[in-house]
Amino acid sequence: MSFFRRLFSNQADPKSPPTGRTAPLVDTPVNTPTPSVAAPSIPEVPIVDKPLRPTAELESRSVNGLGTGGLTDGVTRPLPQDALIDLTGNEHLAFGQATDIGMVRTNNQDSAFSFFSAARSAFERPDFGLFVVADGMGGHHDGEKASALAARAVGAYLMDKIGMSLLQGDERYNEVPITEAMSDAVLKANADVVQKVPDGGTTCTAVMVIGDMAYIAHVGDSRAYFVQREKVERLTRDHSLVERLIELEQLTREEAEDHPQKNVLYRALGQTDTIEVDTLTRRLPPRSRILICSDGLWNQVDDAKIRDVINLHPNPQEACSELVKLANNSGGLDNVTVILLQLPG
Amino acid sequence: MPETKQFMGMEGDGRNDTSLKANVVLQNRYKILGVIGGGGMGTVYQARDLMFTEAKRLVAIKEMQSAVTDANLRTTMLRNFQREANILATLSHPAIPKIFDFFDLSDRAYLVMEYINGRDLEVILSQTKELPIDKVIDWAIELCDVLDYLHSQTPNPIIFRDMKPSNVMIDALGRVRLIDFGIAKAFVRDDSGKGTMIGTEGYSAPEQYRGEAIPASDIFGLGATLHHILTRKDPRLEIPFSFHERPIPNFNPTVPSRMVSIIEKSLAKDIPDRFQTVPEIRTAFNELRSRPLSMPYATTGSSGQPQQSTNFFDDMTVNSDGDLGGLQPKWKFKTEDEIRVSPTVYRDMVLVGSYDTNMWALKLDSGEQVWKYATRGGIASSPTVDETNKNVVFGSEDFTVYALDVRSGRISWSFQTKDRIRSGARIAHDHVFFGSDDGKVYALNVLNGRMLWAFDAGAPVRSRPVVTEEIIIVPSATGEVYGLSLSGQRKWTYRTRGAVYSSPYFEPNEGSLFVGSSDGFMYAFDAHTGVSSWRFRTGAAVISSPTENKGLLYFGSADGYMYAVNAQTSREKWKFNAEKPIVGSPIVHKDAVYFGGTDEYFYCLDANTGKERWKYKTGGAITSAPTVSNDLILVGSLDHILYAFPLIN
Repeated sequence: MSFFRRLFSNQADPKSPPTGRTAPLVDTPVNTPTPSVAAPSIPEVPIVDKPLRPTAELESRSVNGLGTGGLTDGVTRPLPQDALIDLTGNEHLAFGQATDIGMVRTNNQDSAFSFFSAARSAFERPDFGLFVVADGMGGHHDGEKASALAARAVGAYLMDKIGMSLLQGDERYNEVPITEAMSDAVLKANADVVQKVPDGGTTCTAVMVIGDMAYIAHVGDSRAYFVQREKVERLTRDHSLVERLIELEQLTREEAEDHPQKNVLYRALGQTDTIEVDTLTRRLPPRSRILICSDGLWNQVDDAKIRDVINLHPNPQEACSELVKLANNSGGLDNVTVILLQLPG
Repeated sequence: MPETKQFMGMEGDGRNDTSLKANVVLQNRYKILGVIGGGGMGTVYQARDLMFTEAKRLVAIKEMQSAVTDANLRTTMLRNFQREANILATLSHPAIPKIFDFFDLSDRAYLVMEYINGRDLEVILSQTKELPIDKVIDWAIELCDVLDYLHSQTPNPIIFRDMKPSNVMIDALGRVRLIDFGIAKAFVRDDSGKGTMIGTEGYSAPEQYRGEAIPASDIFGLGATLHHILTRKDPRLEIPFSFHERPIPNFNPTVPSRMVSIIEKSLAKDIPDRFQTVPEIRTAFNELRSRPLSMPYATTGSSGQPQQSTNFFDDMTVNSDGDLGGLQPKWKFKTEDEIRVSPTVYRDMVLVGSYDTNMWALKLDSGEQVWKYATRGGIASSPTVDETNKNVVFGSEDFTVYALDVRSGRISWSFQTKDRIRSGARIAHDHVFFGSDDGKVYALNVLNGRMLWAFDAGAPVRSRPVVTEEIIIVPSATGEVYGLSLSGQRKWTYRTRGAVYSSPYFEPNEGSLFVGSSDGFMYAFDAHTGVSSWRFRTGAAVISSPTENKGLLYFGSADGYMYAVNAQTSREKWKFNAEKPIVGSPIVHKDAVYFGGTDEYFYCLDANTGKERWKYKTGGAITSAPTVSNDLILVGSLDHILYAFPLIN
């Protein structure tokens, strides 16, 4: 199916899982082999006519089924891929989101949250997006509970403090600096995890986009990358022991690869009552991308491959699905979750 | 004291409910009395040795159980354990608990040792508010003694590997006892690949994560332990190996600086930067004890105290002898009153306003006067040069903005506001933008001073406006920061909680704006929307205007510190204590940051580390920013003098 038709027709993509019924409890791992990429040139985003759109588009979803089934079964329920409104174009931010249990694990401890609104009206309001990836840890379903709680708490807090204020047109959103509000949201999530899942922990990487500014809050080793055509830049710093040893030049990247303490984080939600949250602000140039992912992706797929996949798939949802496939084809040792944002331009 | 939780990945760790109950007798000899503690790998019991029927001889019994199910691996670990126990059995030192017995029993191994009546340092930390420094020094020396003993074993030195507060007991007699020897190491569970864990050991040296353990590793562990008990900051809850980011004096000002230096040196991440042997560090501690603690120790940066002893302190670089090690200003120029604002360099001239009402024009290379222009009020507005029309533009407390021909000092035009002018002017888009104490921001035609518009900010505007391609940013004394369109219409407002006198700094690549407020915060904004991205808290008003270089934002605070903060993350890179409020603004030139303090010093710091390179004492507080030109750095002081220092590398 052509890219254009995918954008504007209601016809389901034959590759997508069927829609219109309850999502399966556990999605079949995406393990079809990646088609070998022979095309030497990278396709450009096609220029399309301005699509018919409502003046405001609101689209929200949460991978972990927080809105419906609650947390009782602790199982990730990926939405059908084509349930997304595809905003690929040159006017607004577009995004994709995908998650998978991987090839080895028996449960998916990752959680994700995406929200995006674009408005066109006499009241000038910037585009607003909020995206969260959380990777839980701990036995007895504590991991998925912790990550679900974190994604929900961060999403809810920031929608309340900033998203709704922007929508309502008041100034509340700018009362507290954005990264401070994001840090507060992560601390709130931490308090929730400490209280409700005392034996669980989770990473949390949240990205808020207002206009062309990205605000990032981060704890743990889920990463945010800044991706341009030629380069991939990691925006977040893993709060892991080996990453710290690498920073201090006490360990090489190679030594870190199979270090016995490779999985030791020194900071995560659920660890203590107070945690330090890393925050970052970045202006996003046109057509640049932000990738948010759990370690299930970056442990399996190197940066250059990630960049190639993203460059090859102008549609961010397709890129996300391909990245998940690639992680699984490379072993799929862990749950994998990706969110890809693509700036207009 | 917060405990670091460990997440063991998939399933429960299976060490619950298996501990021995009271009154159980092991080997027909040791009667369990109760549990003393649960180490990482097993349980420690208090027991009574029934062999001694008359005396109540107490022993500690450590139970080792391994979760490893693989029989071969288990055997190997048990053998390692046994071998190490045997080594320990040969040791004899007052700080090492005696080992009495060792046996296996139904898949568990037991070690019977001397019972120590006391508390470990972790417990002591949680039960006290502050520990006397001389006591800590005594403990450090005793720990050195026992480490030295271990390291001196032949044929192979014994490396303790696990120095931490919970492994150091202080017994009933106040003596240090080292417990929990590396025996347990063999029982460390291998969790690799099974799942993520949270929490690090916190005290181990970096090389131990490469599988190396040498005497210097124990020195690091000793340093980490001392750092923890002195700062009361648990390293297990901090970024690993970040001790240097938590300088001891910040948490415990009573620690003598020499002791701080010893601990910092022992915590160097690279082995060659540490003490290499325990006797070396012990000598340093002994040195410390032999002097009265109240004696002032020379520190980097304070005025030099001659060093007599031949210890490691002699190797440390003392950066400054106070007055710049002989470096003197190339020239000085004395005006008739305080210099409160920054000089400006125009080609071979320097322009500086003084509270003596004059704008002075001096020769840059000699400081000789070229001309002066008297206004009718003190000058508290930094001059700006309009390159196109060759005018110098500044305001005066006589309410007037002046544009003078920069070569002759003759007046080109002037413009009168309704109150004193203390804001510097910004020249952009063929206009002059400045604020006045009358509460307005003015835009004047740069050629003739004709007013284009005035924006009413409602309170004095004393900072130099920022003007970009699209927006003008002006803060006011009410704490508001306004974003104005080029036509003077308000586009956005951000409210800080204190008056803003600090001039904003605009970083064009990211479009970010930084401004300090009297509410004690430094704020970061998106210049175009006024959306605030972060704020950074200092201990007092931020009057000093920030400057940015290579991603770091530099600014002073009335709390006495100069800060270097990451402009994207607001993470503090370093701060430098000038003891007295800093209201002057810093500048960065090459890799140095220059600023003056109200302590009358003019400072030069390494921009990357915040380490002092030199300082120079002027005769008054410095409240303005220095200016760099070619090979000179110029700064005015409230002692009426403009100083021109040669730039040295």
